[in-house]
Amino acid sequence: MAVLNLAPGETPVARPDPWVLLADGEAPTVGAHVIVPFARFKVEHNELLAKAAAVGVAIGGADVVEELAPWVARLQLVLLQFGVFKDGRLFTSARLLRERFGFRGDLRATGDFIPDQAVFLLRSGVTSLEVGEAFPVETLARVVRAYSVRYQRALDPQPVIIDQRLQGNGA
Amino acid sequence: MYIYDKFDQTIVRERVAAFRDQVARRLAGELDEDHFRPLRLMNGLYLQLHAYMLRVAIPYGTLSSAQLRRLAYIARKYDRGYGHFTTRQNIQYNWIKLEEAPDILSDLADVQMHGIQTSGNCIRNVTADHFSGVAGDEIDDPRVTSEILRQWSTFHPEFSFLPRKFKIAVTGAAHDRAAIKFHDIGIQVVRGPDGEVGYAIYAGGGMGRTPVVAPLIRGYLPKAELLSYVEAILRVYNRYGRRDNIYKARIKILVREIGAAEFTRQVEEEWKLIRTTGVNLPAAEEARIRRFFAPPPYDTIAEPVASLTQAKAASPAFARWIETNVHTHKVPGYAIVTISLKPPGGIPGDASAEQMEAIADLADRYSFAEIRVSHIQNLILPNVKQADLFAIWQALGKIGFADANAGLIGDIIACPGLDYCALANARSIPISQAISERFADPARSAEIGPLQIKISGCINACGHHHAGHIGILGVDRAGEELYQITLGGAADQTAEIGALIGPGFKSADAVDAIERIVDTYLKLRQPGEEFLVAYRRLGQAPFKEAAYGRA
Ligand code: SF4
Repeated sequence: MAVLNLAPGETPVARPDPWVLLADGEAPTVGAHVIVPFARFKVEHNELLAKAAAVGVAIGGADVVEELAPWVARLQLVLLQFGVFKDGRLFTSARLLRERFGFRGDLRATGDFIPDQAVFLLRSGVTSLEVGEAFPVETLARVVRAYSVRYQRALDPQPVIIDQRLQGNGA
Repeated sequence: MYIYDKFDQTIVRERVAAFRDQVARRLAGELDEDHFRPLRLMNGLYLQLHAYMLRVAIPYGTLSSAQLRRLAYIARKYDRGYGHFTTRQNIQYNWIKLEEAPDILSDLADVQMHGIQTSGNCIRNVTADHFSGVAGDEIDDPRVTSEILRQWSTFHPEFSFLPRKFKIAVTGAAHDRAAIKFHDIGIQVVRGPDGEVGYAIYAGGGMGRTPVVAPLIRGYLPKAELLSYVEAILRVYNRYGRRDNIYKARIKILVREIGAAEFTRQVEEEWKLIRTTGVNLPAAEEARIRRFFAPPPYDTIAEPVASLTQAKAASPAFARWIETNVHTHKVPGYAIVTISLKPPGGIPGDASAEQMEAIADLADRYSFAEIRVSHIQNLILPNVKQADLFAIWQALGKIGFADANAGLIGDIIACPGLDYCALANARSIPISQAISERFADPARSAEIGPLQIKISGCINACGHHHAGHIGILGVDRAGEELYQITLGGAADQTAEIGALIGPGFKSADAVDAIERIVDTYLKLRQPGEEFLVAYRRLGQAPFKEAAYGRA
């Protein structure tokens, strides 16, 4: 597994990553960066937040992000787990975490997604990708640059077409 | 019509390159079919029974003559010389090679066209009234709204992997020619309490195996708040639409399961949170888009137009065509022409490259270079001088499209069915051909009057059979193709789902059954009473008896 940064206009490159996903029942080591499934976090959040240096929560498509809202300020990472790449709920979850609940930490996608979805992930507020050995990183580097313009306002900072038109840049 | 600026053009160009890259990865084995499928579907590329099928978007059914010529060119160069206009105002090519698909998209991009989101679980090509901008009963041109939605929905970062496909239709008039209540979202332009223009919003309609007439979820939405409201609907659907069962994944099932009131409450709650977050389109951009739909420079013409009156008197066949295929235009001296792509015995919606080119020429000469595609699978010349109608009719006769049957029994909607479609249970096209041949006599079909027959080759209902005055559904019973008949469906503002009359008919018997139903109507109708009105008055019983030969 490798963790790639995902940022507008940048080639995704692997970066060192301190995070570990705790196995079921595994206790957090003091000072570690730990990720736990949301169900476990709901029960053990006090202990986790006290012990670990940094806490991340893993959510799937079915998790309701409103329930995570009270804690987002104390989380350094939210892991979006794609069971199947077609699970579009996580795009909404990502946007809500950023836009509605003000999550500022690392928003990371993992599981079954393809390079062509990276632009949508990035625009929904995702900042890193966890990928397996077989993931085509070169393809990813190419397809994240596939589109130079976009219609909708979203979480990437590039100007959207509407704004460029309002500035008279259309013709 | 809308003309791309450099941004719109850049998007379709970059899309071609991205798709070329995807196809290359698929052919090289880097992408497996499972992961490639949604990518090709988002470009309108299906794998059908015999070959790939490419669906090209004709946004809200509006085409320029140059675009229609390009569609003809593609038919000739990459297909077998024809194309098929669909119930979603698109065109499909049935014999496409995967390797050539990127070149086709490139040829389309040259004329500001694409296959973006004509398929797949995303927001599909937006459809609208084919008489937009020229109908006298219109409050506002629905193409403005449709183009706004087209841009907003193109590669939407949040809504490109929905539970299922998502279709939006827009009508600018109370008379619904876009079947909005059979869409995931139906938008009707209305006047608000103070007379200002806004929208009524319907949601959760659809055909398929669970046909639903969409409930009204908001009676009045200010025009400027369109995008935030639609985004709220999509967000609720994207989060809570079912993903466990593709047959239950459309928004109509969500609306039905939680109830229209609860669905509306969730949408309104979401909407309150995003109304002011910058989703809505700035007024200046709305105005920019609107300018493209300004009326063309019409001449001032006094009615009646003498040459038209004379031509009608001289040719009863022409007069009959005027009666059925020509509609009132909002500007005096002009007319709207429906070009019937339904010659008796033909394949509904099919047009050859030569026919498309001839129609493009007619549009250049007589209709400000514009053509429309209707969801009834016909083409429209929207801006024709009444004085030119006779010449147009004669020219259409030369390409076999002068049939006076628009809105009549021969004006059949049929899906591709088992002749092409991988999902089909039965053939649709031969039944359609047999019916149109049986009722080919123009005098007889004029006598029968307005009657919509719609045929689907399976329960997915692409042929809109649920909304047919007479609907025909192909089913498979132990390897035999049978045809079930439904009666009383309607797609307009009185939208209704047709009711099944009983067991299916063999293909040879289905046409006889239809004929007996029609004869029963002719026998029982009151003077001037249309089929649907008579059916609603009389109920199913007499027609059912007749269909099964018990009358
Ligand atoms: S209704 Fe069925 S047979 Fe007809 S086009 Fe749709 S999926 Fe194919």
